[in-house]
Amino acid sequence: MSKRYEPQGRLGRAVNAFEETFIALLLGLMALLTFVTVILRYIFNASIIWSLEVILILFAWLIIFGVSYGFKITAHLGVDAVTNILPRGPRRIAAMIAGAVTIAYAFLLLKGSWDYWAPYAALDRTSGRWFPTGFQETREQAWFVTDQVPPVRWLFGWLEPLINQGEEYEKLPRVIPYVILPVGSALILFRVSQAVMAIARGDRDSLIVSHEAEEAVEEAAASHRAGEDAADIYAGVTPPAGRT
Amino acid sequence: MDVVLLFTMIIGLLLMGVPIAVSLGFSSIIFLLVFSDTSLASIAQSFYQAMAGHYTLLAIPFFILASSFMSTGGVARRIIRFSIACVGHLRGGLAIAGVFACMMFAALSGSSPATVVAIGTIVIAAMKQAGYTKEFAAGVICNAGTLGILIPPSIVMVVYASATDVSVGRMFLAGVIPGLLAGFMLMVAIYVIAVKRNMPKGIFAGWGEIWASFRDAFWGLMLIAIIMMGIYGIPGVTGAIFTPTEAAAVASMYAFLVAMFVYRDIGPLAPRPAQSVGAAIAGPVEGTPKSLFQAPWALITAFFHRDTRDTLLEAGKLTIMLMFIIANALILKHVLTDEQIPQAIAQAMLGAGLGPITFLIVVNVILLIGGQFMEPSGLLVIVAPLVFPIAIELGIDPIHLGIIMVVNMEIGMITPPVGLNLFVTSGVAGMSMMSVVKAALPFLAVLFVFLIMVTYIPAISLWLPTLVMGPEIIIR
Repeated sequence: MSKRYEPQGRLGRAVNAFEETFIALLLGLMALLTFVTVILRYIFNASIIWSLEVILILFAWLIIFGVSYGFKITAHLGVDAVTNILPRGPRRIAAMIAGAVTIAYAFLLLKGSWDYWAPYAALDRTSGRWFPTGFQETREQAWFVTDQVPPVRWLFGWLEPLINQGEEYEKLPRVIPYVILPVGSALILFRVSQAVMAIARGDRDSLIVSHEAEEAVEEAAASHRAGEDAADIYAGVTPPAGRT
Repeated sequence: MDVVLLFTMIIGLLLMGVPIAVSLGFSSIIFLLVFSDTSLASIAQSFYQAMAGHYTLLAIPFFILASSFMSTGGVARRIIRFSIACVGHLRGGLAIAGVFACMMFAALSGSSPATVVAIGTIVIAAMKQAGYTKEFAAGVICNAGTLGILIPPSIVMVVYASATDVSVGRMFLAGVIPGLLAGFMLMVAIYVIAVKRNMPKGIFAGWGEIWASFRDAFWGLMLIAIIMMGIYGIPGVTGAIFTPTEAAAVASMYAFLVAMFVYRDIGPLAPRPAQSVGAAIAGPVEGTPKSLFQAPWALITAFFHRDTRDTLLEAGKLTIMLMFIIANALILKHVLTDEQIPQAIAQAMLGAGLGPITFLIVVNVILLIGGQFMEPSGLLVIVAPLVFPIAIELGIDPIHLGIIMVVNMEIGMITPPVGLNLFVTSGVAGMSMMSVVKAALPFLAVLFVFLIMVTYIPAISLWLPTLVMGPEIIIR
């Protein structure tokens, strides 16, 4: 069973706070932007031309960024019916094999993500079908832009001399939204490796939970146990003001 | 042959404890790399496009967000109070009220385990105090909690709709009557048992209490009305106003406003800073919430409040979990479509003389077994792309098939030996797994009858969507 993730150390807490806030921010922006678009359309009969595309980009960022966080806090769903009935030793072996498979998956995803993103950043793809065996000359696609999103030149203007031969982007170049693919999959690989090492050390049981409310159930079960020990948590305590 | 290998690999990895998403993705990637000339880059592209290219799936994060704001303990308590006021005075009234509360909360939350936790923690304790046996209480909640995925708005239905390209609006409407019917059947069963065993009944608190508790629960229940009226229009006045995705976004904004400024269980106006959900379930919130006039700056600070961030994060986590699975399932779907696998199976089945009825039995069995082990959305994205083309081939209505699949997974969740809801209930009620299984059995039988009805009487699911949205056009 999972226990709630607690960040360790100052850096751990800072990174955790960043991840959590970023996830919350992405989802909040998606919801707010959709809501504003709907209101504008139905009440003011106006529209923001780029809103849908931006919402979908935020959606992709939310998921691809968040998957690594999910591995960190052991939130991904799996089937634990079989592994739970195994004795301790075999269960750990199964968890290690599962970890190895997940690392392989993350690695393949990272190679694919790099290969997909690189041409948009005027970089080279890796050669090789399964494993990167080196870099191969790739026709660059840095001039590819998104459909409607404004270029935000004050923020991304420095890209133009770097990858677009100094030409001005009329729309946001695709290299920006797609960058989450290599970044996100590198983070996934990192978090999965960490998790597998924790399993090897015996600090962690598995990579998975069996349903989304596991944490809440444990909380309820814990309060239940506590409730049985002391029928009334206020027994023997002076009631706080306003409570009789 | 390759296909058998593919599915053996997926199931093998799943049982080993590999996350569902990775099992699907890894097997599909291996399959594509070995048997086709697809590159890893195009797989990464389809992973990105799973989100950026699917407008319907965008409804999932917004529904989850709306229900996160609405599934705090405070809303659950208001709904339970309203249910008890309505039906608490019948024999076995508290149990019936539990089912009623589960139905309403299910409509808000869309998740079965979450419903069991929110309603179960309060109702099971209350039933024990009122003199019911713990077993009876657990059995009732365990079963009623599964209604979460059948009563719209349901996330599982959005997943089904996007996996098979049917209309989300139709799926939601198709779930209404089966959802009400299942709840009604459970209530009748409880009433019969209660009368036989002479179970306790409450006192009718009067119409005043019904009205007062309704007014209190109204803001939460309005969420369902906003979604339904948004998608289908106000009857007799307007046509459809929003797409399901827009309706979900509006609903999440509404839920935010209600949670922050009306119920004030969380946020800047909450009586105690950072009221955790667990604490809100454990007991009544102490003190009275602040009024907006006392703290008008809350209009701004609510957006940045710690509770807002935490609720967004909770919803974000759930979205990430589900979408990670769905994105990988879309890679699998790509493999299946490329290889024409479902079509091949359909031809084989037709060739062997299997009809729709046999096919539906096969689907029932697969989902009942799968539903025990796996979270419904995860199971659905694996099974739907496989059985959907076969069903179309056999002339089964896609909406009807969707409802059958949802009901099947509901029952899978409470079927011994390993149904998910059984685990959740045993945790919430503090009972052993075996005693929950025994307690759930009589009601499981009721739901089984319900499954057979839904499977073989298509009208139960199809009547309402056809009435509201007109006959469906099926493109083969």
